Amino acid sequence: MDPAFASATSDSSSAAERFLKFFGNPWLQIALNAIVVTASELFLKLGARATAHLNGSFAWTGITGLASRWTWLGIVFVILSLVSWLYVLRRVPLSVAFPLSNVVHVLVPVTSWIFLNELISPRRWLGIALVLIGLIIVAKPFARIEEKL
Amino acid sequence: MKIVPFLLIFTSLVTFVTGQLLFKRAMEGSHASGFGKEFLKFFLPGIASMTVSFFLTLGLLQRFDLSFVYPFQGFSVIIISATAAFLLKEKLSFQLLLGAVLISLGVVLVSLS
Repeated sequence: MDPAFASATSDSSSAAERFLKFFGNPWLQIALNAIVVTASELFLKLGARATAHLNGSFAWTGITGLASRWTWLGIVFVILSLVSWLYVLRRVPLSVAFPLSNVVHVLVPVTSWIFLNELISPRRWLGIALVLIGLIIVAKPFARIEEKL
Repeated sequence: MKIVPFLLIFTSLVTFVTGQLLFKRAMEGSHASGFGKEFLKFFLPGIASMTVSFFLTLGLLQRFDLSFVYPFQGFSVIIISATAAFLLKEKLSFQLLLGAVLISLGVVLVSLS
């Protein structure tokens, strides 16, 4: 191979590698995963609401939800979140990654409060605070390891 | 109090936890042997378990408020951390356990109201 060409391609691939290394950071993926999950849950709720009136012998299985396009959009987001979740699991222990993924339960009420003007009761604020404290306690030892690396 | 919704919630929780454990086991295997037979052996049952959990939850959401269905899911945090330590031999520190308990309680409080 022409050496100039080889160095040019290795330059561009190193930029791509650097991007992949940043994007592939499992902690960033946990955060992105939480955002995709938040969106999927919103879509699934819209789908479930749109199909709640449908009756049938298999209605109890939730299968009637497929009659709404929101449900299908929700399923696409569930699949996306599954891919990033599997990627996270490849590198992070389940007993650490799963508690951290519960940042969703902070994101959903807070985004609903900011964007949809939904009220958050004092009890719910207390829950949000507990989840945040728990997240910090779980994440802290690993943040320290990352710094050392 | 009807028992059927609680049975459905319990089944959706068990299938969810089982699916997570199978996914983790599948991804652990992928380090050594890629995405072949060894991977699929755990991944496909994981997908099946998750699919059952998904539709049961959707069915519950059609009939009940989020505030009834979701508090139970809060417990999945503590259940998954404990079963991952027990079945997958992950290290479970006191700190991790404390964090998991606080998150579980927090999720229950967030979804109750």
